[in-house]
Amino acid sequence: MARIDCGKLCPEWPCEQPEEFKHVWVIAEATEDGISEASLQMLTPALEIARKLDNKVVGILLGYNVSRHADTLIKHGADEVIVVDDIMLSEYYPEVYGQVIVDLAKKYKPEVILLAATMRGREMGPYIANTLRAGITADCTDFDVDEKTRDVLLIRPPFAAIMLAYIKTPFRRPQIGTARPNVFPVPPADESRKGEIKFEKPSILTARAKLVFRKILKREEIPIEKAEIIVSGGKGLGGPEGFKLLEELASILGGVVAGSRKAVDAGWISHERQVGQTGKSVKPILYIAVGISGAAQHMIGVREATRIVAINIDPEAPIFNQADYGVVGDYKEIVDALIEELRRLRDAGPQAVEELIREYAQQAQAAGQG
Amino acid sequence: MRIVVGIKWVPNTQAVRFDPKTGTLIRTGVPAIVNPHDLPAAELALRLKDRYGGEVIVVTMAPPPAMQGLEHILGMGADRAVLLTDRAFAGADTLATSYVIARGIRKIEEEWGPVDLAVFGQETIDSSTAHIGAQVASWLGWPYIYYVKKAWLQDGRLRVVRHLESAVEEFEVSTPAVVSVAMKALKARPVRLSYKLRAKLESPITVWTNKDLGLDPRCVGLKGSPTIVSKVTYLPEVPRKKIVYKPRDPRDAARWILAQLFSDEKTREVLYKALWGG
Ligand SMILES: Cc1cc2nc3c(=O)[nH]c(=O)nc-3n(C[C@H](O)[C@H](O)[C@H](O)COP(=O)(O)OP(=O)(O)OC[C@H]3O[C@@H](n4cnc5c(N)ncnc54)[C@H](O)[C@@H]3O)c2cc1C
Ligand SMILES: Nc1ncnc2c1ncn2[C@@H]1O[C@H](COP(=O)(O)O)[C@@H](O)[C@H]1O
Repeated sequence: MARIDCGKLCPEWPCEQPEEFKHVWVIAEATEDGISEASLQMLTPALEIARKLDNKVVGILLGYNVSRHADTLIKHGADEVIVVDDIMLSEYYPEVYGQVIVDLAKKYKPEVILLAATMRGREMGPYIANTLRAGITADCTDFDVDEKTRDVLLIRPPFAAIMLAYIKTPFRRPQIGTARPNVFPVPPADESRKGEIKFEKPSILTARAKLVFRKILKREEIPIEKAEIIVSGGKGLGGPEGFKLLEELASILGGVVAGSRKAVDAGWISHERQVGQTGKSVKPILYIAVGISGAAQHMIGVREATRIVAINIDPEAPIFNQADYGVVGDYKEIVDALIEELRRLRDAGPQAVEELIREYAQQAQAAGQG
Repeated sequence: MRIVVGIKWVPNTQAVRFDPKTGTLIRTGVPAIVNPHDLPAAELALRLKDRYGGEVIVVTMAPPPAMQGLEHILGMGADRAVLLTDRAFAGADTLATSYVIARGIRKIEEEWGPVDLAVFGQETIDSSTAHIGAQVASWLGWPYIYYVKKAWLQDGRLRVVRHLESAVEEFEVSTPAVVSVAMKALKARPVRLSYKLRAKLESPITVWTNKDLGLDPRCVGLKGSPTIVSKVTYLPEVPRKKIVYKPRDPRDAARWILAQLFSDEKTREVLYKALWGG
């Protein structure tokens, strides 16, 4: 491990040696329903980093009446949980929660801190890092460890999604990173796992922001990251009506609709449903990309889709090189026909599928011979 | 109110193309623009000024060509612009960038009086970190809130409405404060040539180098950045079948797709489930 030469550091930073820091922290977001899934997902990279560093995984749980959720973190792999359960934390304010975590980090000196890049995580993470004068890397898609130096490599696609930047902070600890929801799976629960739960008091804080009012918005539909089938539309739909058609297709398939950034930017679909680098990562069994060109920043969000179907009018569209099944043509006619054909099959029953498969198998054979 | 708006002059990432043959990015000739997510931030600041009076000061840390970005915001109606520029600032990560911006805001206060609000965009299109707002708040010791869609004054305090994934929240925040404005929250007003000209005549863009800010060179640029990019690689390609079909007609297209998906063991089951349940 490198020794830090304090004379070379910015005097605004505390001078601390890396070996003073230990363990991997996961900041857990508690909601009414318990620990958010996005936070539990962060236990997956935390366990991997901790294994390589021979460290413990520590869950950090803040809020009011949240102690009962500490167990969830342990069952999913945390060795220890530090709980700050206080009425002062009954509302989340980024500066207040951030400061409590900063104080804990000054006391315990974690080597690594991971947060889910939810909207709150993205709000609070950089405050924590900056107040500790530590680096932070947003939206990591992977982590690795240089076991010699104990530097964590925080891996993220910069700017162009086809590349990966390996970022490290050799002169500062803790090493802090966030990852978008659904990049990592939740580690399986082990009901018999036991771990230590510690309680801490928050420092005396006065919130300079006050929540006046909150309205919880009901989700009308399955969030795209949970769907098995996604019908996704891009700029090629030409307008919001295109999404009506995709909705119809999605509903027959029991799936949901999503979109590219250009479709979101055009206001045809909400940002919640954007797939890609600055949207969501999805892992459906079937992803049907309609009028989407296949930009790297979009495709990074569907790397884990089992199968991709592309419908695009331009035979040169890059998406055809990144899909399993591609069809060239105008989406309106093709999606219409798909809806009609699916309805017909549904009414005709499973035996109609066998006929269809036979017909196209023969065609493929004929093509092969010819 | 005295309001500072932070903007970034960024390459128009939509215009950056990838050369699959050489495996590199084609950046030559890519035009630069004001980060699109900073325009709603500037708009929010200007609306507060329209309503409550005061001044809007736009600031960026960047090499000199970013003056064009400052001029754009002046053209929207900002009163002053500050360019924080120095060779020593090069290579800064978000911590070092936010440090310079925060110290720039302190100097703005020394020159023109106390700042009530610092407004940022939600994120930049070239790095998308959404770090700077929270980091500036941390350096200044001000309260902050992200994803703001609306802001006004009530009983001498700032009120904001913001949207999270599944909630709408209204906060009362004491000033001075930092807010970051949600992407597309507001439509930015157009640039007026007369504003641009007036701004140029009356108060040219103020340029501050590191000498003016008096910062320790160990705290800025590459030296002041805890994060280091140790290497860059390319993502491995995901193996895909890449079967492309030119159908005779739409019906043929639909039937071909379904024939593939029903004969593919990976997708067959989910389709059966969708059509006939179970
Ligand atoms: C930092 C950064 C982050 C980004 N993050 C994201 C992200 O998270 N998600 C994302 O999606 N993008 C993202 N982008 C943008 C991305 O680079 C692309 O610009 C975007 O994905 C393109 O969207 P699109 O495919 O819908 O539109 P286009 O590229 O315009 O493609 C439209 C396609 O529709 C086809 N088409 C037109 N008419 C028809 C028709 N009648 N029938 C069938 N096909 C038709 C066209 O042939 C074309 O291929 C990001 C960019 C940057 C720089
Ligand atoms: N160099 C800069 N100078 C001034 N403001 C900046 C700079 N970089 C980023 N910002 C502001 O910080 C916001 C968030 O940027 P980022 O953290 O880079 O995603 C942007 O929308 C801008 O308002």
